[in-house]
Amino acid sequence: MNAALVLIILIAGAYLAAHVASGWLARRFLIVSGAEYLLLGILLGPHVSRLITPGVVGSFAAFMTLALGWVGAVVGAQFYVPDVIRIRGLYYRVAFVEAILVFVLVSAAMAGIFSWFFGLPVTNVAQPALALGAIAVGSAPSGIGIVTERVGRPPIVQLLQVATAIDAVVAIVAFGLLVSIMHAPPAGVVRAPTPTEWAVISIGIGLVGGALFHLFLGEERSGDRLFIALAGAIILASGAAAYLRLSPLLPTMLIGMVLVNTSRNRDAIRQVLSKVERPLYFVLLIFAGTAWTPAPREWILPAVAFIVVRAAAQLGAAYASAEAAGVRKLLGAGWGRALLGQGGLAIAIALNYRIDANSFLANIVFSSAIASVLLTDVLSARVVASVVEAYRKRVAVRLPGRRDRGAGTGVGSGTGGSADAGAGTAGDTGADAGARSGAGGAQETP
Amino acid sequence: MRRALVLALLLAGVRLILPLGAQGQGGEVLVAFGLLILGAYTVGEIASAVRLPKIVGYLVAGLIFGPSVLGAVSAQSVQRLQPVSQLAVSVIAFLAGAELRWRDVRVDGPALLKIMATELAVGFVALFGTIVALRGSLPLLAHEPPAGVLAFALLFASIAIVHSPAVTLALLTETGARGPVARTVLGVVLLADVAVVLLFSAALPIARALVPPVAAPQSVSVFWEIGGAILIGAVLGGGVASYLRFIGKELVLFAVLIAFFGVQIAELAHVELLLTMLTAGFVTENLSRHGDKLRHAMERSAAPIFVVFFALSGAHIEVASVVPLLPFVLPIAAVRAAAIWVGTRLGAGWAGTPPAVRRVVWMGLISQAGVAIGLASVVATAYGEAGRRLQVLLLSLIAVNETIGPVLFRRALQAGGELTPEGRRVRGRAVAAH
Repeated sequence: MNAALVLIILIAGAYLAAHVASGWLARRFLIVSGAEYLLLGILLGPHVSRLITPGVVGSFAAFMTLALGWVGAVVGAQFYVPDVIRIRGLYYRVAFVEAILVFVLVSAAMAGIFSWFFGLPVTNVAQPALALGAIAVGSAPSGIGIVTERVGRPPIVQLLQVATAIDAVVAIVAFGLLVSIMHAPPAGVVRAPTPTEWAVISIGIGLVGGALFHLFLGEERSGDRLFIALAGAIILASGAAAYLRLSPLLPTMLIGMVLVNTSRNRDAIRQVLSKVERPLYFVLLIFAGTAWTPAPREWILPAVAFIVVRAAAQLGAAYASAEAAGVRKLLGAGWGRALLGQGGLAIAIALNYRIDANSFLANIVFSSAIASVLLTDVLSARVVASVVEAYRKRVAVRLPGRRDRGAGTGVGSGTGGSADAGAGTAGDTGADAGARSGAGGAQETP
Repeated sequence: MRRALVLALLLAGVRLILPLGAQGQGGEVLVAFGLLILGAYTVGEIASAVRLPKIVGYLVAGLIFGPSVLGAVSAQSVQRLQPVSQLAVSVIAFLAGAELRWRDVRVDGPALLKIMATELAVGFVALFGTIVALRGSLPLLAHEPPAGVLAFALLFASIAIVHSPAVTLALLTETGARGPVARTVLGVVLLADVAVVLLFSAALPIARALVPPVAAPQSVSVFWEIGGAILIGAVLGGGVASYLRFIGKELVLFAVLIAFFGVQIAELAHVELLLTMLTAGFVTENLSRHGDKLRHAMERSAAPIFVVFFALSGAHIEVASVVPLLPFVLPIAAVRAAAIWVGTRLGAGWAGTPPAVRRVVWMGLISQAGVAIGLASVVATAYGEAGRRLQVLLLSLIAVNETIGPVLFRRALQAGGELTPEGRRVRGRAVAAH
């Protein structure tokens, strides 16, 4: 059967399943959907059923790049500065410290593990270790979205939303800079740009592109015309980044940030971005699954090590950041469990690393990310729910007679994504669940 | 103006980074695609500001950014974006089919058939005669024996009479016109599309008997190509109607998936894509009570698809090949337009169409696009170098008609009073009445 036809049927089926079954599963059993598409991609890919050949996967490279660019723009579109500054600085302190600690700890640990396992000097394995560090930072907001539907937005949920949004930024920036630093010199140029220059080019595409696209979009409010112009902008920026062998995620994230902060039609922009986000995410997951080419056995130990190291780093970093901010007792020692779930962003970064010809140990990094998503994604909402429940019990003990009603401290933004807060798909890379902490809980904010 | 300036800056930026890049990851295709979309959007807005149809702007943008002029989009990129064009054809055909209601077909069908038959017959004879008359001057036929002249004239005429459902539908979507002129043009164009496939399928064996081809064209029975398309389209339409009845969610995405599915299934089954999707749209619209929801969803996703389709069509135009042929192409285009005028006047008179429609309907039938290009490439494949020369002549003619056709059609709608808000309200009531 024609592979493209198989893909279309699959995507259609997957999408319908997401609507019919997964929405119900999410609401009833707090199970996030998303990982199953990844699994489906693996099963159909060149290494299991061979229904989709490497040629077909390769022919969709442009589409994968576009999906990555779209993910970046969606992440960037969360950061509308007036909303961001309305959220308490404490949340950002906790989130930044946690994200950076995870990145450093996982990178260092994986460098050591790779060095030992493959018998290579640490400098040689720095690239895959740093890539895994960036992947480790990314947390899925989908579980938080599902829990939000149930319990509203008590402060712990706001913090988790801020944390996933900051995690996404740190992950994308770290990965974008990594790709710039490790960039191979292009052929046929008199002087190849230095890593700093590549980083400046990457950021320049985002900022200059964002400014130009702001002028281009103007006050366009018609949904169709805005979609055309915005799609053109993201396609062009993603293509330019991919053409230069840079990550499309960083420039398009910056474009998303510039557009929502400079355009009056920011809500319409968010709406357009979120409208395409979910289907693109399913496609990305299926492609990611088909692109998986495991080396015989040698990926298993690094993947297991990555999952263990990431879990330990996440819990430790969350503990340390809360301790440093003086809110550890209120949040609980294990609040970092709520950030263990990985989803779209981790896959996007891993896929980006996988398709970059300059990547070292690409399959192992990619396999580790896939294993982590498969393991953590499905039950992420349940873990978030347990963390939130524990928090509510602590608050009830500390402030007897008051109930956390999940409404109204005014510390949130309230303008986040325009899509609904994730009806159970891990596809939410953040437009909805991210910075939208519009309503607070009771006064006992951490 | 502001957008044009931004576009120029973006183009300069792309030129700046080009030496630093490399093939792979689809980057170059995406850059080309992005530039094409933004360029088409900008020129489309400029065209709209000077009261030209937007699709003319999209075509011009494709031409400007394409390999022939600025070269921002390479010929290779245009080729790699071909699946996008096919997707667009699929959506356009589905939408065209969904415009047809069984009740209208029963009432208006005989009249449309009369107009279509007369117009095609007059057009075919006129174009065949013109090519035979020009045989001494046309470089293509200068050294051909009489049998070759007849064969190529036959093939040329059977392709040159084709109209463009894509242009027709794009303009109707853009203007919102659905009055008598719009409905008559759409009906004739859709009927002619089926008739022309049959006519071409009959002309090709005659031409092969007169001049043996260098390569045998794909031998798929015309009956299967058409009958199979209707059968598959009907099944697809039934499936879509079931989806609308039992699920009915996420219609925009579903519409795009159906279009993709149509392209793939038509390719696999070797059936005519346009007819397959036309039938699917028709069956969906008439079988399901919720067909209009999908049509609206498709219309919403059609705007970007039209941008891409016509921009790519513009990028396909090879200025270097078209310009030297203009002394031949312009008279042929004039003959074709005159034949359509005569044919529609006769046909509309025979069918008893109101004079207001009869006067202007020819202007809606000038456009040409995808189907004609597809048939021209069949001839090129079959007849090698001679076929390719005929293809260039046809593509030049298509380029001219593709550019002036939308302008004329818009004028026809204007003359018919179907571009005014009142005209659209009449249309709205007519649609509601169905």
